[in-house]
Amino acid sequence: MLRKADTSAVWAIVASLVLFFIGGLLTTVVPPMVDKSWGRPFANADPAKGPTGTLVRLNAQQQQGRDIYVREGCWYCHTQQIRTLLADTKRYGWKGVDAPISTPDEFVYDTPHMFGTKRTGPDLARVGGRYDTQWHRTHFRNPRDLVKGSIMPAFPWIVGNPQEFTALVAYMQTLGRAKDWRPSNDYER
Amino acid sequence: MDYTWPSVYFAYLFFFLMFALAVFFFVKTARDGYWGKDGEDIKYRMLEDGDQRRTHE
Amino acid sequence: MQEQFSRAESGGAAPGAIIHEDTTVKWFVVSSISYFFIVGIIALIIAAKFVWPDLMGTTAWLTYGRLRPLHVNGMLFGWLLAADMGLTFYIVPRLCGVKIWSEKLGVATGVLWNVIILGAVVSLLLGRNKGFEYGELEMSLSVLVVVAWLMFTANILMTVFQRKYQAMYVSIWYFMGCLLWTAFVYLTGNFATLLATGVNQANLNWMYVHNAVGLIFTPVGLGIAYYFIPRTSNTPLFSHKLSMVGFWSLAFVYVWTGAHHMLHGPISQWLQTIAIAFSLMLLVPVWAVVYNLLITMKGQWHQLRDKVELKFLMSGVVFYLLTCFQGPMHSLRTVNAIVSKTDWIPGHAHMAVLGAFSFFAIAGTYYAAPRVFGKLLHSVALANWSYWMIMIGGLGFFTTLWLGGFWQGWQWNNVSIPFIDTVVALKPIWTVRFISGVMIFVGIVMFAYNIMATVLGPETEAAA
Repeated sequence: MLRKADTSAVWAIVASLVLFFIGGLLTTVVPPMVDKSWGRPFANADPAKGPTGTLVRLNAQQQQGRDIYVREGCWYCHTQQIRTLLADTKRYGWKGVDAPISTPDEFVYDTPHMFGTKRTGPDLARVGGRYDTQWHRTHFRNPRDLVKGSIMPAFPWIVGNPQEFTALVAYMQTLGRAKDWRPSNDYER
Repeated sequence: MDYTWPSVYFAYLFFFLMFALAVFFFVKTARDGYWGKDGEDIKYRMLEDGDQRRTHE
Repeated sequence: MQEQFSRAESGGAAPGAIIHEDTTVKWFVVSSISYFFIVGIIALIIAAKFVWPDLMGTTAWLTYGRLRPLHVNGMLFGWLLAADMGLTFYIVPRLCGVKIWSEKLGVATGVLWNVIILGAVVSLLLGRNKGFEYGELEMSLSVLVVVAWLMFTANILMTVFQRKYQAMYVSIWYFMGCLLWTAFVYLTGNFATLLATGVNQANLNWMYVHNAVGLIFTPVGLGIAYYFIPRTSNTPLFSHKLSMVGFWSLAFVYVWTGAHHMLHGPISQWLQTIAIAFSLMLLVPVWAVVYNLLITMKGQWHQLRDKVELKFLMSGVVFYLLTCFQGPMHSLRTVNAIVSKTDWIPGHAHMAVLGAFSFFAIAGTYYAAPRVFGKLLHSVALANWSYWMIMIGGLGFFTTLWLGGFWQGWQWNNVSIPFIDTVVALKPIWTVRFISGVMIFVGIVMFAYNIMATVLGPETEAAA
């Protein structure tokens, strides 16, 4: 049989595709069928089970902001995931409150997903409500005016376009807010 | 549902499956004569279809 | 084998010998080295932006977020995949003992590929980005990639089906694997992702990203290495059977590991565990290949002194070993908690794509280009210089980023250090990375110039 494997191109094609599809199907098609939480939007009304809240879809303005986020490649340097690491929950927490760990149900409406792979800048999964609009305006105009040593590019053409700027900030303020994690609604606008 | 243990069992199952397949194919190929003298001919032949053009060597 | 034929002599000699036209190979060689050079400039700019963040900072299409996808797509598809396709067009007819199935279809593939890359440059600079890593190209271009790939696949498979010799050398196996898997991997990353959202989509995306390297560049790169290492050293491969073990284990284990890109992230723990288990199994195909190639050179290492192709090939093998040792190691949860998302990762990725697979492609180009154009290599000395520049620059690049990545990872895990301090701490790393990048770029220029001078230089007969 393996003698044939050495000499038959058709055998090779079939066998390599079969092997590929075993792993391919089991790791891409099967997991969402096994773990239903990938497709169920976050909703929790019971404080005993952790932060309460509901995942809502972005409105038109927030969606436009998200499109700008994708267009400018923000996701090459900013991840959007609080991992199951103590350092992540502490570092991206706020006033002593730990940031809740990101769960699949918070991202159900995301497309394209913006989880990211590289943290050249800080994680943005819970950045919603962390800074106010004025801070963002100054920061996008030139990040080094606010954060000395930052290497983030300046985005003057976004600040100079009020509609785009408002949309982008509106999107950023939604990040991580499906879970109402800060006590007494302490969010910046 | 916590999948921690099922995933460990799955990994073990997999390992034994692979091991069994490896043994199976080893026996099968040995019977078919895959390990015979001419099994390696191809690696010599690939050197022969020389490109007949001048190089530095 | 070592006889000195000129092209004119070989025409009448050796009855039944096939004269390969190689027009397709010429197309791919020339376009791939052009993109290697052009995208090299982009690479330098984005490396410089880490050191001088205000550089070209107020023009939208010159910002980091626009140039990075151009760098990645340009290097992966414009340089490396084009070079690999060209070398496949060179190797497969020779191993099969027949002419390429259709030279016209091959040239059409080469032309279409150039259209795609030029379209990618324009659309990415305009910010038309689909938002998926490695899958940034907009829909129309993704469709063209699929078309080009089908043309390429048909041509190579038909050539294989017509082959003169029944037994297939290992390179043919890897090329066929690459052709088939790429089709499905690419469809997953560029089309299936659009049908899903959230974590499900991310899982499909990482399956694509991982296998773009694992099932596209790895098999075609290894096919090239398996062909050129015996050919340039004139030494038979150590073991055909071992090469089959490497191929079949690669075919099986690579596709499972996509989820290791989201370790500790919002994806099911059990899927992470499966990805980790299979990531460790990757050691099997890698060590099978590396052992085979290293032992082939036993007693022949002195040949590296004289043959620049072998220098590139064997360094590529060592980089392949290292990068594929790192991969399984990062997928362990404890190691991942330190290196994931840091600058270690670009160091690792560059060693795979530049250190291993580009080295194989450069070696193949140095070997094949003079032969298909019927010329002598312009300058062996310059070729050696290009090797040392890329090698030393590459080593500087990889090692500083690993070091920096570890600093970063440890600092992030200490929450009393503000994030911005971890950025400032890496400035020296990025400076050295830029300088290393300049060295690599100089090497690329030497390589590209050498090949172009060969292509445009005098005929063999005149030079000899």
